[in-house]
Amino acid sequence: MSEVRRRRFVVTRFDPDRDAEPRTQSYDVPCQPDWKVLDALNYIKDELDPSLSHRWSCRMAVCGSCGMNVDGKPTLTCKQALDSYGDEVEVEPLSNFPVIRDLVVELEGFLEKLQQVKPWILRAKELAVEAGPAKQKPEELEVFRNFSYCINCMLCYAACPVVANEPAFLGPAAIALGHRYNVDSRDEGARERNQVFRGEGNVFACSYANECSEVCPKHVDPAAAINQAKFNAVIDWMAGLVLPRGGR
Amino acid sequence: MKQLLLRLEPLIWLLFGQGILIGTILLTGWVLVVGLLAPLGLVSDGALAFERAHRLAAHPIGRLVLLAIVALPLWKGAHHLRSLAIDFGGGHRDAAVATLLYAIATVGSLLGLVAVARL
Amino acid sequence: MARVADPHAMAPAKAGPTRTAPPRMPPEFPLQGRYRAYTLFDATGAVYLLLGLLALRLVWALGSGDAAWRSAMESLGNPLYLLFHALAFASVLFVGVRFFRLFPKAQPPKIGPLRPPPQPVIHALLYAAWLAVSALMIAILAGGIFG
Repeated sequence: MSEVRRRRFVVTRFDPDRDAEPRTQSYDVPCQPDWKVLDALNYIKDELDPSLSHRWSCRMAVCGSCGMNVDGKPTLTCKQALDSYGDEVEVEPLSNFPVIRDLVVELEGFLEKLQQVKPWILRAKELAVEAGPAKQKPEELEVFRNFSYCINCMLCYAACPVVANEPAFLGPAAIALGHRYNVDSRDEGARERNQVFRGEGNVFACSYANECSEVCPKHVDPAAAINQAKFNAVIDWMAGLVLPRGGR
Repeated sequence: MKQLLLRLEPLIWLLFGQGILIGTILLTGWVLVVGLLAPLGLVSDGALAFERAHRLAAHPIGRLVLLAIVALPLWKGAHHLRSLAIDFGGGHRDAAVATLLYAIATVGSLLGLVAVARL
Repeated sequence: MARVADPHAMAPAKAGPTRTAPPRMPPEFPLQGRYRAYTLFDATGAVYLLLGLLALRLVWALGSGDAAWRSAMESLGNPLYLLFHALAFASVLFVGVRFFRLFPKAQPPKIGPLRPPPQPVIHALLYAAWLAVSALMIAILAGGIFG
């Protein structure tokens, strides 16, 4: 019943102890019809070459671990079915990231950008526990709900031409998450985050490629968030020109 | 210079945004008639003759529209060319490239102001 | 393999314990797939810059008298100018369509106390404004009204 299709996977390999620079290695994989790209990579590691290194975890598109470039496009390999590919499939580590080994990229840079936007509820004074849960209307939630679906898979960073050329740029996910909190009715940290948006991280460096939204597997639409964030950052800037501010 | 550019980014972005929005809306008819139909002789004879053109342009609304047609596209153009330069690996030269392009836009906008004032 | 991107792209503040391979550009960048439209979008900056400078020249000529204006208008008949304006017209349409697609989703949820209209309404309003203003400008410039 199952129609096994043999495909050749051309996979980027890089061992910092042995290779001066990345190279490719080909594997012939008998692919089951219902397989995702990740299944093929796991087959390679399990059956053909245990030295292959790649990140993965949940297998259901919620952990964000398994992002890679497949046939030139940033892809969540546990989500992407193999049947849309041909006889030869190219698998590379995510673009725009330093590569630690094989398909494993350096995450620390992303985490540092994320921390800059303080992606949590910021309040001058925490609500008392006795006051009960913070109330929020459905329409207040709707304003940021989409942006909260981000799984930090970093496909958006791999797709963004500005990330490739401007190392200080905060990048799609960090800006989208910062914006998500800025417009959350429970949050009071917009002014602080807007300073970050107008600083070196420069939300205005986004040049409307929209690739981030095209590749996002969770339909977060970071491009919408970034451009809304630009507008809000301008309002914040204008308010700062007119109204006095303490401290900064 | 880099710090100055960062601080001016919100203003530059506003001008660039209007350059795209208002600039595009105004430029469509302008490019079609002034750039294509009129030179090809497809508009009525006196339409863009000096007397009529000057009368319309010197009207307060005319001056405003012409200023927008001169200045706003300059800002859109400058910002996008800066972006193009960065895209093609010019990130480290950005301060110099941006300064040059925004200087052109600034000078052009100021000259535009003079040009509509002297109509 | 795609070419190397900025060597510091996505690099952490402090390097990790092992040597890393440099970050690489998205393989389809700049002229394949959807990046082509993006690169073209940026490249229209050159067209807009030239249009602004050309408009400046025309307005200046208009303020310099009949002879200067006539000379400027006549020069627009040069085939190179015609080609440029044909390209410019296509560019302006391309920019409009692409930007108007983005504009509705770029509106923040609230501007002060005001809530923007739904995205499809904004999209329709943009096109309505584009058509209305263009029609008005064509009518005025081509001599249809305010004769």
